[in-house]
Amino acid sequence: MQTQNRPSPPLESGLSKKRRSCPFTSAGVRYIDYKDINTLNQFITERGKIIPRRITGVSFFHQKLLARAIKQARYMALLPFVSEE
Amino acid sequence: MAKQVRKQLYEGMYILSATLSDDARQKALDKITSGITDRGGEIHKIHDQGRKKMAYEIDGKREGHYFLIYFTSPANVLNDLWRDYHLNEDLIRFVTMTADQVMEKVEFKPLPQLG
Repeated sequence: MQTQNRPSPPLESGLSKKRRSCPFTSAGVRYIDYKDINTLNQFITERGKIIPRRITGVSFFHQKLLARAIKQARYMALLPFVSEE
Repeated sequence: MAKQVRKQLYEGMYILSATLSDDARQKALDKITSGITDRGGEIHKIHDQGRKKMAYEIDGKREGHYFLIYFTSPANVLNDLWRDYHLNEDLIRFVTMTADQVMEKVEFKPLPQLG
């Protein structure tokens, strides 16, 4: 009974409807720096995991650079490997 | 004929212990820079990024003093430098990477719009 009252999840989320464009491609970025924490922070979850590009819309090329930059920043303790909260 | 030694531009990021006094920190930094210059390297720029909270604990320390140093040196020197750095107890962590250019300011343009 209760399940009927529950709102059904939307079949098409906003992400799948609209194709997201890569923010790095549109900005003409050729290199992602591991020191640029504010940018990198937009592409990790609260837990500290790297968000897959199917969600953020980052291009294949830039996701490679991004992943490398995030891992370099993690090593220098600029970003967490695992967030504690 | 002496072989021409190729020099490469590097950027090194160093985390020094935040518990050091100002003098001790300066001394530790001098030790790093002199290690480079004594081996035929050249320092171009030192950015003092200040005391920062680290994202996780390293050797029981939660805070570190970050330095970014741009230098050129012959490539074969790096092995010696690393050996030095590992013996340096004030140095919590370090990384050396090749760099294309010296950053005069450590600032970045924000991305225009996400999504």
